[in-house]
Amino acid sequence: MAFLTLLITWINIATNALGKHAFSMIAVLPGWLSNTIISAVLGVIILLLIKYTSNQKAISQAKDYIKANMLALKLFKDSLAVTFISLGKLFKGVFLRLGLMLKPLLIMFIPFTLIVCQLGLWYQARPMTTGEEAMVILQLAGEIGSPMPNVAIQPTSAMDVTVGPVRAVSNRQVFWIIKAKENGTHNLTFNIDGQQVEKQLVIGEGFKRVSLERPGQNAYDIMLHPMEEPLKSDSIIQSISIEYPDRISKTSGTDWWVGYLTVVSMAFAVICMPIFKVKI
Amino acid sequence: MMYKDSRKINFNTLSIIIAVTAIVFVVSLATVPAYAEPQMSKKVIVMGFDGMDPRLATKMMDAGELPNFDKLRKRNGFKPLGTSNPPQSPVAWASFTNGAGPGTHGIFDFIHRHPEKQYSPFYSASETIEGEGAWEVSDHKLQLEMWPFNHIPTQTLLKREGTPFWDYLDAVGIESAFYDLPANYPPSKSKFHNHSCLPGMGTPDMFGNPGTYQHYAEDGPVRTRDEGGGKRSMLFFEENEAAKATLLGPTNSFLKDPKPITIDFVVHRDIQANAVVIEIQDHKIILKPGQWSQWTQLEFEMSMPWFLPNEKLSGICKFYLQEVSPNLRLYVTPINIDPSNPAVQVTEPPEFIEEISEKLGLFYTTGFQEDHKARSNNVFTDAEYLNQINIVLEERLNMLEYALDRYEDGLLFFYFSSTDLPTHIFWWDSDEKHPIRKADEAKKYHGMIKKIYRKMDEVVGRVLDKYDDKATIILMSDHGFCNWKRQFNINTWLRDNGYIKPSDCKTIMSNEIDWFQTKAYGLGLNGLYLNLRGRERDGIVKPGKEREELLNELITKLKAVRDVDGKPVIRNVYRSDEIYKGPHTYLAPDLLIGYYRGYRVSWAATLGDMDEEIFKDNDSAWSADHCIDPLEVPGVLFSNRPILAENPDLTDLAPTILAEFGVDIPESMTGKNIYKKQ
Repeated sequence: MAFLTLLITWINIATNALGKHAFSMIAVLPGWLSNTIISAVLGVIILLLIKYTSNQKAISQAKDYIKANMLALKLFKDSLAVTFISLGKLFKGVFLRLGLMLKPLLIMFIPFTLIVCQLGLWYQARPMTTGEEAMVILQLAGEIGSPMPNVAIQPTSAMDVTVGPVRAVSNRQVFWIIKAKENGTHNLTFNIDGQQVEKQLVIGEGFKRVSLERPGQNAYDIMLHPMEEPLKSDSIIQSISIEYPDRISKTSGTDWWVGYLTVVSMAFAVICMPIFKVKI
Repeated sequence: MMYKDSRKINFNTLSIIIAVTAIVFVVSLATVPAYAEPQMSKKVIVMGFDGMDPRLATKMMDAGELPNFDKLRKRNGFKPLGTSNPPQSPVAWASFTNGAGPGTHGIFDFIHRHPEKQYSPFYSASETIEGEGAWEVSDHKLQLEMWPFNHIPTQTLLKREGTPFWDYLDAVGIESAFYDLPANYPPSKSKFHNHSCLPGMGTPDMFGNPGTYQHYAEDGPVRTRDEGGGKRSMLFFEENEAAKATLLGPTNSFLKDPKPITIDFVVHRDIQANAVVIEIQDHKIILKPGQWSQWTQLEFEMSMPWFLPNEKLSGICKFYLQEVSPNLRLYVTPINIDPSNPAVQVTEPPEFIEEISEKLGLFYTTGFQEDHKARSNNVFTDAEYLNQINIVLEERLNMLEYALDRYEDGLLFFYFSSTDLPTHIFWWDSDEKHPIRKADEAKKYHGMIKKIYRKMDEVVGRVLDKYDDKATIILMSDHGFCNWKRQFNINTWLRDNGYIKPSDCKTIMSNEIDWFQTKAYGLGLNGLYLNLRGRERDGIVKPGKEREELLNELITKLKAVRDVDGKPVIRNVYRSDEIYKGPHTYLAPDLLIGYYRGYRVSWAATLGDMDEEIFKDNDSAWSADHCIDPLEVPGVLFSNRPILAENPDLTDLAPTILAEFGVDIPESMTGKNIYKKQ
């Protein structure tokens, strides 16, 4: 597990660099346009990946096999025996075709997950605007019931703490409400019994990369929140998160952007199939 | 031959038709009034300030405190507005809606009863009718309307009868938009899709009630206790300063034994930080004492029979933390229907509420938004209630901005409850002792009403700035206000005078009453009903002579009622068969009692209970009222055009609005155009 978290952390270093620069146009374009362009490009990449990682000849044969059996179903609908045999063959053909797609899907899965996680940094939430409030949640490690350490956020010109720290002892969580004051990308510093830990805070308008959580040593969390270095395994803190405001948009807003990306990239892939002569 | 004759006849017929058409056309041009054609691009804005009082408004205008209202007064655009009889909001707003009195709309009080069931009270403007038949599956039941089941589902029906005036606008293609319209839930349908309405007063919370808050405290009752308008529960903190609690939601009517759907939540307390964290579903809410949360969306999962997926109902509420320690007190607003995802149809058209919510986010959808019950039941202090009033007002001011931005032509109606529900609690305009406050506090809180009036004046100023020269503007209230010092229990009076039997009876709600010896009973805020044979299930008073004699006797005796200090109590007693005209008088009380200022029916009597004494002091925070004689509490009428009617009345507004749009006034309306001399 430690190796896996380390591996994902290293990969994140690379994908962060890629995500920051390759998707930098998001910062300047309207959300719908940037997401449409990215979806179109991804659609074409998916198509090309399928073309070069799958057995196109076998897929073509499987398609013909399905077609032939559908025709048999139509022509010999009066014959029960032929109908059953053709149905069986039809299912076989469908499963064969799905099986042939498995290899490209497996090859694409990890890189595309990493890309989606990078896009999530842009689209999933928006930065706080000045004067706006958000909740900060610090999850402490350790057994429930063990003493809670003293926790504080160092004062900074970027924000004011309006409420907190408020401790939920039974969850080993500490909460604050902060109010954004100064545009920019800042670091919040937490003092926990002498130990100092940082968490990025983004304040401003428009599209900026926003890290919702600084994760602990959890592979899934590290992949989902790639921007900040994971907390050390011996850290007294398990994670720090900021509840940034939702971005309201049906094309590039919180949660909607993933659906839009999926639909539009699929649409582009389908449109481009004859151009690139790809069989799916 | 035949052919030739036919041609001749046809030619003659054609000539006659042309001649008649020409004559009709010329005569029409000469005689039809200028507004005969509907004026599609006309603008009329009506703002309803529920309970705005003409005496206080006049006093404040004289003192220069309401400059915008005063601007209209100086243009001869101010008159007291005659209210309905009785002067109760559902009755008054329904009269406004129909342009005619209660006989046309069938609403006579907040509370009605089913005479055939002898005593069965229900909210007059809408009623939920239990369904019939169900298919039972394990713990659940399903109502299937299709053949062969033919079950009848439970329905909530709008009880207002007659045709609302906006239907006439709808029919000729004039658009109308209503925000917080009272007494119109469930919303009436728009046949031609030119009408949109967000209903106000009468719209229930997710319990199906006018508004049920939930209150949690360490000193609360171990078992959840109902108190009129709310529920109280105990919070018990464990060693780690966490307390588990349950929020009650809508009733799952798919269960054979319907139960409320509940959501468990946890309150984490940090005494050192003097704050709490509330964990409910996916939400984490931090509050310090005196803080309100944002609206919180909650999903109530309604269990269904095993072969159907569970249904999820979305509701919204706000949390308000009153105290952290030593006695943690937490108030939760009534669970409102989520405007962004309504569980039932709230507006007409159904998507109207979602359109508003898309722009404004979440907002109160219950009809009674200011939680007066929380104040009356001492859950809120005066200051806390005032705080909640301001939250509601801010929300509604945002909604007004939305309404004005969206408004182009046609009719715009916007309603404010801020001049009514807070007034019931804070109004006190005399030097006499206030029911619960010291003199200086009574004065201070009466000042809050003035503050609200000033705020409304600002609103009027904003509307005048934008529309004074473009629209006909009508500002109105359904009634005024007065202090309420003494409670009169009509049922105790009837019992002590031998009209309710037996003489030790304490309520008409139980079997202790002997209906076969009872001649009359009181129900609601102004109504008195005879126990009439042929109408009431156990009626004994014979129609005809006996009824007449009893009515006259009661009127005479009631008018003679004196308080213990000798003051007259009842200004007039009205016979419904004399004051109501129209086809829907079946549920009307026989007599309507019009009290003098300072008096009102007691709380106990409204639902048929009897107090020890006929009179007692009003000792509740609800220190002002208007359910008295209508002549004592007229409303206000302002307009940016001179009001020429001598004594304008609520029923005059619908015909006036129709006339403004050039729409013919239907015969069912008894009101007259206020811009014409009557």
